[in-house]
Amino acid sequence: MSARLIGARGQAIGASGRAEETRPAPRVPVGELVFALLMLVLGALALIGAFSIHIPVGIQVGPTVFPIAVSVLLIATAAAVVVGVLRGDRGEPDDGEDIDSSARTDWLTLAKIVGALIAHLLLIEAIGWAPAAAVLFGIVAWTLGAKRWWLGFVIGLVVALAVQVVFGGLLGLSLPWGPAFAWLGGMF
Amino acid sequence: MDSWTLLLDGFATALQPQYLMWAFIGVFIGTAVGVLPGIGPAMTVALLLPLTYTLDATAAIITFAGIYYGGMYGGSTTSILLNTPGESASIVTAIEGNKMAKLGRGAAALATAAIGSFVAGTIATIGLTLLAPILADFAVSLGPADKLALIVVAFITVGALMGRSVSRGVLSLAIGLFIGLIGTDNLSGQQRYTLGMPVLGEGISVVLVAVGLFAVGETLYVAAKLRQGGVDVIPVTKGWRNWMTKDDWKRSWKPWLRGTAIGFPIGTIPAGGADVATFLSYAAERKLSKRKDEFGRGAIEGVAGPEAANNAAAAGVLVPLLTLGLPTTATAAIILFAFQSYGIQPGPQLFTNQPALVWALVASLYLGNLILIVLNLPLVGMWVKLLQIPRPYLYAGILMFAAFGAYAIRFSIADVVILLVIGVLGYFMRRYGIPVAPLVVGMILGPMGEAELRKALQLSQGDPSTLIMQPFAAAAYGVLVVLVLGALWLRRRQTRYEQHLTETIAVPITADQEV
Repeated sequence: MSARLIGARGQAIGASGRAEETRPAPRVPVGELVFALLMLVLGALALIGAFSIHIPVGIQVGPTVFPIAVSVLLIATAAAVVVGVLRGDRGEPDDGEDIDSSARTDWLTLAKIVGALIAHLLLIEAIGWAPAAAVLFGIVAWTLGAKRWWLGFVIGLVVALAVQVVFGGLLGLSLPWGPAFAWLGGMF
Repeated sequence: MDSWTLLLDGFATALQPQYLMWAFIGVFIGTAVGVLPGIGPAMTVALLLPLTYTLDATAAIITFAGIYYGGMYGGSTTSILLNTPGESASIVTAIEGNKMAKLGRGAAALATAAIGSFVAGTIATIGLTLLAPILADFAVSLGPADKLALIVVAFITVGALMGRSVSRGVLSLAIGLFIGLIGTDNLSGQQRYTLGMPVLGEGISVVLVAVGLFAVGETLYVAAKLRQGGVDVIPVTKGWRNWMTKDDWKRSWKPWLRGTAIGFPIGTIPAGGADVATFLSYAAERKLSKRKDEFGRGAIEGVAGPEAANNAAAAGVLVPLLTLGLPTTATAAIILFAFQSYGIQPGPQLFTNQPALVWALVASLYLGNLILIVLNLPLVGMWVKLLQIPRPYLYAGILMFAAFGAYAIRFSIADVVILLVIGVLGYFMRRYGIPVAPLVVGMILGPMGEAELRKALQLSQGDPSTLIMQPFAAAAYGVLVVLVLGALWLRRRQTRYEQHLTETIAVPITADQEV
């Protein structure tokens, strides 16, 4: 069964040696171009910024020499990538064990995960580290398709409390306990 | 023979119960995290950095040595038993190892990988013991211009040789150098690129960048294209005592030694790390084998050689790291940072200033190798269970530990914000095929390079010719040119070779996506 599939797949593998994307790539890789252009802008801003660094008197090699060199390198390499992309040299996306490289990018999932991190960092000081970490864990697990949505929050809370007890309680890192677990923090 | 006495002293330290325990914990956690799919050695080390926040220097460094070896090895279990291998250093192992597992010979594949790693790791650590003091002695005499030359060599080789595109690699390096500039300049006390924000005044922590790129960036990248459906782990049968037959041993021992001979030297030079070594070893075994037809169908030599090369290269990477302070992989760069956070600067002076620490570290490498094999052979059933962790919880856990590591640096919400920003950057870099490793190396080595540059120019009264007129520096730049040309040639061969492989045997990765 699988041998036949391998054979069939073998023909589908192009000259690049990689399996071709099932979905035709857009002709102008807009995202890649935008990324490279952003890096070009970053380089330009870095160069302008370098000249506004104050140089103290009496120093032979000031604090601007290296920033100027780095800015120029940034601009040059970003420009090289832009030119490369325009000439058809596309970047090869990373592979990974859990990645289905033929799938479409799921932007909604990405937005939810970024949202979970933002919620986490806003909540740390209000409700304590462990509950805020449980929120992060729960939202992410749920977003990625955990079967029971509440289980993520429960597991998250248990793991987060374990981390907080070991690192905060026993090893002395001062993670905020928050109102709900102040009694637990009081034990250390 | 002086270094042998020092090594014995090192063993005396490393064998103390509390340090032995830390070595054990390091290897254990390193293997556990390394086995988890989607987590390579660099992410393992980055995620586990917070573990050492509260330890003393010797304990922390011994723990890290264990994490490093454990993390390096953990990936091979994943690639043999999981149907969808990923991490580059062990991808060659996957070609044969995965096929062996499917034929019911997974136990033999795991055993030859574990024993091969032990043999290679031990021989390579002996190599490190012999080579490092000599190199350190020599490196003590290097001036600022020479050190700058070494750093430039690391920049260019890492930037140009990691990943498939030179311009993208060097772009990544440049971004890293820029991030390294943010903060207060040590020499003049001037603020650079801080936008007037006090949070940025101390600079951006390497922990944030490493964890952000490797953990957050990788999680976002996986989340966007998560493979749906069940996790497909190939079961391992038979007790571990009779895993390898006599024939397996006979076919494995030569590849182990050859893998070591290939891996260690490649690890010591900045040539792109372990994956070049594993590829070369695989190619060599395939060429030398009398049973060429078995390659691509589960030849044990194709697991034994590359796995040995992988671990020998891991030990080799420590040679320039310890003696010159030069990290040649992202993982090594993060370890360098772990040293620096204890005020220890790896480099030639390390062997004269901190002999007790260095030799305790080297001794713990020998012990780590032993612990690795003890943990891996009998406990494989447990590691297999780790492979089956449901992915939603796995990635939720990775993000939680990433956020913990960021917040625990100085208990500042701003650090978690920076972590998120860098994570998003890491996502887009992966998406557009820009390697992240050069960024980490650039960020860590950039400030060191700047310091040496300014020292050199100060000494020469601003005459830039000093940078290339020193004999050692000149030689280093010469070698650099040869290295880059040689490595680019090697890479072209590797690409062609992989193409050839894909065409003849069709790697299981692509085939299985259809099923």
